[in-house]
Amino acid sequence: MENIYKPELVEILDVIDETPDIITFKLKFKDPEYHKEFNFLAGQFAEYSVFGEGECTFCIASSPTRPDFLECSFKAAGKVTNAMRRLQTGDTMGLRGPYGNYFPVEEMKGKSVVFIAGGIGLAPVRCVIWNVLDLRDQFKDVTIVYGARSVADLVYKRELEEWKQMPSVKTVVTVDPGGETPDWNGEIGFVPSIVEKVAPNAENTVAVICGPPIMIKYTMPVLEKLGFKEENVITTLENRMKCGVGKCGRCNVGNVYVCKDGPVFTYKQLKELPEEY
Amino acid sequence: MQAMKQFITTDEKLRQLVHALSKNAWNIISAGKEGTNFIYINDGKDLVINADSKPTKLSAKEFFFPKTEPLFFYKKNHDGVDLLDPKDVLRKTVLFGVKPCDAAAVPVMGKVFNWDYKDEFFNRRVEQTVIIGMACSYSDVYCFCTSTGLSPESSKGSDVFLKPAQNSSYIAEAVTPKGEAFVVEFSSFFDAANENDVKLLLNSPKGPEKKFDANQVKQWLDGHFEDPLWNEVGETCLGCAQCAFTCPTCHCFDIVDESCGYNCGRRVKNWDGCQFGLFTKHASGHNPRGHQPERYRQRISHKFKYYQDKFGEILCTGCGRCTRGCPVGIDIAEIAQEINKRNSVLV
Ligand SMILES: Cc1cc2nc3c(=O)[nH]c(=O)nc-3n(C[C@H](O)[C@H](O)[C@H](O)COP(=O)(O)OP(=O)(O)OC[C@H]3O[C@@H](n4cnc5c(N)ncnc54)[C@H](O)[C@@H]3O)c2cc1C
Ligand code: SF4
Ligand code: SF4
Ligand code: FES
Repeated sequence: MENIYKPELVEILDVIDETPDIITFKLKFKDPEYHKEFNFLAGQFAEYSVFGEGECTFCIASSPTRPDFLECSFKAAGKVTNAMRRLQTGDTMGLRGPYGNYFPVEEMKGKSVVFIAGGIGLAPVRCVIWNVLDLRDQFKDVTIVYGARSVADLVYKRELEEWKQMPSVKTVVTVDPGGETPDWNGEIGFVPSIVEKVAPNAENTVAVICGPPIMIKYTMPVLEKLGFKEENVITTLENRMKCGVGKCGRCNVGNVYVCKDGPVFTYKQLKELPEEY
Repeated sequence: MQAMKQFITTDEKLRQLVHALSKNAWNIISAGKEGTNFIYINDGKDLVINADSKPTKLSAKEFFFPKTEPLFFYKKNHDGVDLLDPKDVLRKTVLFGVKPCDAAAVPVMGKVFNWDYKDEFFNRRVEQTVIIGMACSYSDVYCFCTSTGLSPESSKGSDVFLKPAQNSSYIAEAVTPKGEAFVVEFSSFFDAANENDVKLLLNSPKGPEKKFDANQVKQWLDGHFEDPLWNEVGETCLGCAQCAFTCPTCHCFDIVDESCGYNCGRRVKNWDGCQFGLFTKHASGHNPRGHQPERYRQRISHKFKYYQDKFGEILCTGCGRCTRGCPVGIDIAEIAQEINKRNSVLV
């Protein structure tokens, strides 16, 4: 009998502390054949298990262009994520996926891309960022605007530095007023106003945005003012999920199953849905 | 006459059939006595075949979608974890006395369990089970099957369908190939029905009095996600989810781990309900359906709109259980009637 709820086993190769409560796991399937055949696209998610604790949903935070291992970054928020926090290199977890739809990276080729992220919202966006940067010559301008509450809350710090060093990428990192340290040399201000200041050109450009609802709410009018059309602004939803495969009835927004028809939506699509996310 | 294969059997023969099934190691499940639940039986005298009886408290869905179903077992060892599929061998099962509103729910639920990924836990139970449906001559103020496209004589979802005839006999239709194979396998309990036999059929039951127009309900729902009605009907709901647990078509579930000690345990699927406040709550604390009226809107919309948009079926068979058991008297059919009224005012 085919068992769609049974995960594959993965081994934790590395544990990286991003912030006091966000951790990144580097994972590899225990079965090398399975690992070789595992394909996914930027924006898809998976169900991760700690046996005896349960399952939870995270995006795959690494890029499909780097298939040697998978990464997920998670915030210790509840039962399973706190159990994950206690795991170490060499421990075994379960993973099933990839599930859901993906960012239209193919359609973004030949265009400019603006990435806007807040807090742990950089996780799903980072997947597309590396996807785009690994194929850099197929895209026009690349801009990254990332913000967190404080310097300590910035995730992927080493990569933020790496992106800043790349001449082909414009990277702007900001922290909320009061969140800076004495030696902070980035921007100070909320993401929406920094986007306004950076003022990316909307011409032939796709914006990928992910972060807390409040950040998205105030960034949207800025993007509109800059001339971005709703169909060119793409985000990803985080409705609570259990099965990930369109069965358990938990993730729906109107007649859309976020786990199957999403989690990636354009702003235009979201506007047509009831506000239940 | 339809081309449907028709047979005649009797109360006595059905009881003997139970005996034969039992000898052949079938799982035999019968509707329980008035107002109780389905029961496992081994003896023909325990069979309840009564077209007049009130629907069981719980629907028949638990035989396809159990309250708790193990998905796999895990065992931790030195260098990792072993995962084992559930090894239970399902016995061939027969369900007697299933009402049209319960039987029809099986193919309706089958849509969501098969629209893309296939839930074989559900499918294998359906495959192993012969559903013997029976025409229903009960009706009370709660049921409304005729408003959901069904009737007291609808054989949707049944493999074999019985209609009461005179002298404690029944006309049995083999509705599906599985039902036909069953009748053939146990042919000593079913005789081919001739025209005279069919004349013995009792009058068709008149069906429930409660009625509404489900198409119009859908039309209204298409345009009224925001509406004062939701506060009016949802405010008194306690969020107990009795309605979901007794419903033959509600299929939401949770997935949780149950450990026995540190080293081993199992992952199970449990019934869940969209009326619970935590159902959609994010880890951040944000809740897309944070208030009961929003959750009640989800229940009605899923039943009469979303499921139709997605799968072309109404997610309700009109069994009336949700209303019959609601501790605060929320009546789904009255809400549908109210929606009909509002629709006609608008037109
Ligand atoms: C598509 C998608 C992608 C995602 N990507 C990421 C990602 O990349 N990184 C990330 O960190 N997160 C991500 N999430 C969110 C992540 O799935 C959740 O944070 C995670 O599932 C929490 O699991 P948990 O078992 O630790 O929390 P749970 O223990 O399930 O608890 C979660 C919250 O539910 C509430 N709750 C649960 N039970 C109770 C109770 N009995 N009483 C009161 N309140 C209760 C609490 O508010 C609690 O904080 C994503 C979600 C989706 C849908
Ligand atoms: S049974 Fe009644 S009170 Fe309980 S959740 Fe359903 S509608 Fe609400
Ligand atoms: S919604 Fe109510 S009436 Fe409809 S099938 Fe479910 S329990 Fe029966
Ligand atoms: S997560 Fe189960 S239906 Fe979407």
